[in-house]
Amino acid sequence: MASLISSIRERNKKTPTWLKVLVPVLAVGGLGVVVVTAALVAFVVTGWLGQPVPVLGFDQTFDQPIDFPHTVHAGTGQLDRDPSLPELGLDCTFCHRTVTTQANAGVPPVQQCAFCHQSIGPESNSQLQILRDHAGIDGSDKEPINWRRVHRMPDHVRFVHEPHIRYLTANPSAIGNAGSEVTGAASVEPSMVCSTCHGDVAAMEQVKQVEPLKMGQCVDCHRDNGAPTDCAACHH
Amino acid sequence: MVTQAGFGNHKWAMAVDVDKCTGCQACVLACQVENNIPLNTQDRFERNRSMAWIRVERYWEGEFPNVKARFIPIMCQHCENAPCEPVCPVFATYHNAEGLNVQVYNRCVGTRYCANGCPYIVRFFNYWEPVWPESLRNHLNPDVTIRSRGIMEKCSFCVHRIRRGVRKADSEGRALEDGEIRTACQDACPTDALVFGDLKDPNSKVSEMKKSDRYYTLLPALGTSPNVFYLAKVDEDREVAHAGAEGEHDDGH
Repeated sequence: MASLISSIRERNKKTPTWLKVLVPVLAVGGLGVVVVTAALVAFVVTGWLGQPVPVLGFDQTFDQPIDFPHTVHAGTGQLDRDPSLPELGLDCTFCHRTVTTQANAGVPPVQQCAFCHQSIGPESNSQLQILRDHAGIDGSDKEPINWRRVHRMPDHVRFVHEPHIRYLTANPSAIGNAGSEVTGAASVEPSMVCSTCHGDVAAMEQVKQVEPLKMGQCVDCHRDNGAPTDCAACHH
Repeated sequence: MVTQAGFGNHKWAMAVDVDKCTGCQACVLACQVENNIPLNTQDRFERNRSMAWIRVERYWEGEFPNVKARFIPIMCQHCENAPCEPVCPVFATYHNAEGLNVQVYNRCVGTRYCANGCPYIVRFFNYWEPVWPESLRNHLNPDVTIRSRGIMEKCSFCVHRIRRGVRKADSEGRALEDGEIRTACQDACPTDALVFGDLKDPNSKVSEMKKSDRYYTLLPALGTSPNVFYLAKVDEDREVAHAGAEGEHDDGH
């Protein structure tokens, strides 16, 4: 036994210097690999369950060129921040006009904002001033507003609003995030169905994507409502 | 139901009347534009890596001065028993309920097994990221996915046009009419040699054409049972202009 221990000690003494350097380097490197792998796994898992970790910009709101408040235009409740501003309760389709007929919901042209805002809104409002500049109300050159898109499908998905609005207006029971007012109705207005995917936009100061809008969500809904789940229904 | 409840009630097919084809290549160009197919530069062409979802094959017949050119447009045959489908390890290509051989771009991992299995050579692989000159970027079709590098692609029977047609009929609350859905190549064909339609509708034009005694399919010996079929050329100079359609085709290959 004693000879065995001494022989191990003997062997340890013979450990070359380069090995003494290499082993800790490998250990630190291995630790790095573990850390990177753990981060990768965490990203994949969070991405699989819902939105990936927001560090990449998902699930975040954007600063738009104009702080357009959906609360003022689409909201119907009492406004907290400024009681002098009325809540108009505009229908979604008043501005997003092509949503019932086309693939895109459509962002209104500046001219449509100007219909109202050439006479409505205080002079002092700096955000409205940006709009007036774009619309050419003050005599400046007309220029479209470069809104940033919040809800974007991947390029290999062909989403068309029209059939979805058409189905949900005729089948209100399939509407997700529904308020009590729509349940039980035979059919509803187009603006009542938007919340299924977009959440309650009328209550958002800054529009934000609240649903993951992943393929699983699409397929779940398609399956529940007898819509095609063939790949080529959306991917082509 | 106001959804696309009619899904699966169709069986899409295309008839190609070879007698009418003049080999003008309008279908090739129309397809190229409609489906965002990458530009075939000389470099790619010389490497045999040019893409054309539909091509017009040309065969010369006879000795000078009695030379005749024969044309036959060839696109994905949308086989009922497709050799490309079982070889895909990720199910990126499959047969759907409407008789289409569907290529799902976002599933494709680029093994190229399908292209090797296809006897008609109508599948194309993106060896490079497609790049369009600045002047052509706004001409791209927004209804068709742009395939990136490493993706297999092929004729889709203009599935986006099928979807659009079905959607339009649904929204107007009526049944789909025969001839309402037209593919890009069919639209471009000046002689109406290409006819697209629904085989489940017994009165559709393709169903009528399928009954013709000039009917034949490509490489029938392989048993792929394609959904694209051909009507043989009518030629009075030729002894076997009808009936023996299979033999007639084989001398071209």
